[in-house]
Amino acid sequence: MRIRPCLYALAAAALLGAGCQLDLASEPADPVVHYSLSPTTTALDEAGEPLLPLAEQDHIAGSLTMLFGTPANPRFLRTAEWVDDEFDPNWPTYAADDNGGGEFSEDELAAIKADNERDFRRELALIEAGRYEDVVLPSWMPDLRSKWAAHLASKPADARDAEFQGEAKALLVDFYPTLRDSAELYRQQCLHCHGVEGGGDGPTAPFLNPKPRDYRAGVFKFTSMKDKSTPRREDLYRILDEGVTGTAMPSFRRFSQAELHGLVDYVRLLSMRGMVERDLVNTYLNEEALSMEAVLESFSAVWDKWGKAAEKHTQFDGAVPAPSKESIERGRTLFMDAATGNCFSCHGAEGRGDGASAFTKHPETGETIPAYKDDWGNEILPRNLRQGIFRGGRRPIDIYYRIKNGINGTPMPAAVSTMSDDDIWALVHYVGSLSEAPRVRPSSHSKSNADH
Amino acid sequence: MRLIASLLLLAVPILGVYTFMTAADHDWWFPPAYSTFAPDIDWLFDFIMYMVAFTFIVTEVALAWFVFKYSAKRNDKGVFTHGSHKLEMIWTAIPAVALLVIAFTQMETFAKIKFASGFPTQGRFTREKPIAQVWASQFDWRTRYPGDDGVLGTVDDLEASYEFVVPVNEDIVFELRSRDVIHSWFVPEFRLKQDALPGHTIPVWFNATKEGSYDLVCAELCGWGHYKMSGRVRVVSAQEFDAYQADLKAKWFSNGKE
Repeated sequence: MRIRPCLYALAAAALLGAGCQLDLASEPADPVVHYSLSPTTTALDEAGEPLLPLAEQDHIAGSLTMLFGTPANPRFLRTAEWVDDEFDPNWPTYAADDNGGGEFSEDELAAIKADNERDFRRELALIEAGRYEDVVLPSWMPDLRSKWAAHLASKPADARDAEFQGEAKALLVDFYPTLRDSAELYRQQCLHCHGVEGGGDGPTAPFLNPKPRDYRAGVFKFTSMKDKSTPRREDLYRILDEGVTGTAMPSFRRFSQAELHGLVDYVRLLSMRGMVERDLVNTYLNEEALSMEAVLESFSAVWDKWGKAAEKHTQFDGAVPAPSKESIERGRTLFMDAATGNCFSCHGAEGRGDGASAFTKHPETGETIPAYKDDWGNEILPRNLRQGIFRGGRRPIDIYYRIKNGINGTPMPAAVSTMSDDDIWALVHYVGSLSEAPRVRPSSHSKSNADH
Repeated sequence: MRLIASLLLLAVPILGVYTFMTAADHDWWFPPAYSTFAPDIDWLFDFIMYMVAFTFIVTEVALAWFVFKYSAKRNDKGVFTHGSHKLEMIWTAIPAVALLVIAFTQMETFAKIKFASGFPTQGRFTREKPIAQVWASQFDWRTRYPGDDGVLGTVDDLEASYEFVVPVNEDIVFELRSRDVIHSWFVPEFRLKQDALPGHTIPVWFNATKEGSYDLVCAELCGWGHYKMSGRVRVVSAQEFDAYQADLKAKWFSNGKE
């Protein structure tokens, strides 16, 4: 009689064990993700009818898939022209190897390789020891994994075969992610804020203030570019490497340089996709036909914009000047001068971000509300310069870029043309001095605290 | 039947002890200890663990024996007791003494790591002159070195994200701050964990004994991105540290050409 509870207990334990076993053994299947059209494309007009006929929307979606692929297989369309020029937009590094037309210098490629050697040191040691089967490559490298599997399939009888071993090592040392690899890493690390299409509308986005960036307009805030140009590769890389202080964007330096460069490639693809989409909508609204030529033209126009980004880079050639009492004082004068800096009108006389023109009265309630919105429709306040939090970086050159070029997508304007570099550096020094708060030495007598 | 039941109960302490004894072989145990006070922490951990293990084994064996000896089949009549004053005194006094022993044993180590009196006063870095401020924010770690003037909070401070670089075999004092919510600075190899509280500047010290790069994790649930709030503490030689500072300075005052 009394054996029954024991049996139940044993059965329950067995089931539990089996359950754990199953959970451990199988990774959850990848959810299928699709690129969707942006809300501006699918918007309704006042009558509640779609602004673009559904057939045209389908046309745009189809064109975008032709040009940029799908999340599971993202790639740029290689136009006939590019095939003739032997240029492959999908391979920034290989292009550099083959005809020198790539986006990386020899030094950068060497740095990527050295970083791969560090990042894969465990795997490389396993290869050295001939333990190929123990090498486990990360799940966000699907293409590298399949290459690895194909290589293992050709394994010779002698596990220490030097040629085979060398090729196995080269696979890892020369690793540069394909767009497919990078899309997988993006799906794991970025998507939950930035969304499938890079619209800044991922599942965690509603909880964030400031909002994650929407790449689709091709507007990036923290760049070194003038004329609101699209960013350089280095600008995007820096954001991934350093993070954005004061926001939920952390540093992703725990990933290798190759992986971060791959993410830059993929963010560029998403951004270009968004720009082409916007372009096609405008083409239609301008009552032009969405012909194949129009689609390809828009595609190459957007590529040109990104390709020529380097020309718009703000180059500062000299050494960064050190702050002095005089330069800080001069910066203060410029800060308060309505004709040159005019910074105080928004940032306030004390730099607290409380200038008069930053606020307005609500037309109905009379409440004080922010006067400006950014390009993405969020209410925006001028930075409080006293906190020492500079989202685009606190280095002098970062603040120089912000003042000289303004901040894309925000009311922060570029410096007026009458301002010389010296003027801008004086402003940089003044702005830097605003958040100075020399650390107070901890007192060795707790008594002094009571005096306050 | 009573034999099976008591053997099943006996399996618990046997499996438990076996798991602990083989844990190190499976890499389930602590990471290596690489700070001067880490061995003290490990000693305290072992001390408490052996104490608890002894109690655990004794009670489990007693439990198995009782199940075997007093099965319902053989003892169908229960005995009513109103309790034993003496027994209650004993099982209150023994744990109380044990807790006091633990409390007094750990006091010195705790004071050495956390109390103001335990902080290093000799050497390059002291409470008055910390090596850096480490800022925790949702969801990353940033380090702020004082720069050339040696004073934190001035315009020439150097900032590094993700990494905190310190020299080896030297007393390191840094200040821990938080920009938003409660975080916790935790480096398992150093056996050091310290909460970061918004509005507080908390001095922390350690002395790393081996060069290398160690995981820095947030040990206080700080929001949805807590799991990805990681960093590295890189321990280098004194020369490398100076070179790192020079390099950081060069990068900080770069003119953007990089």
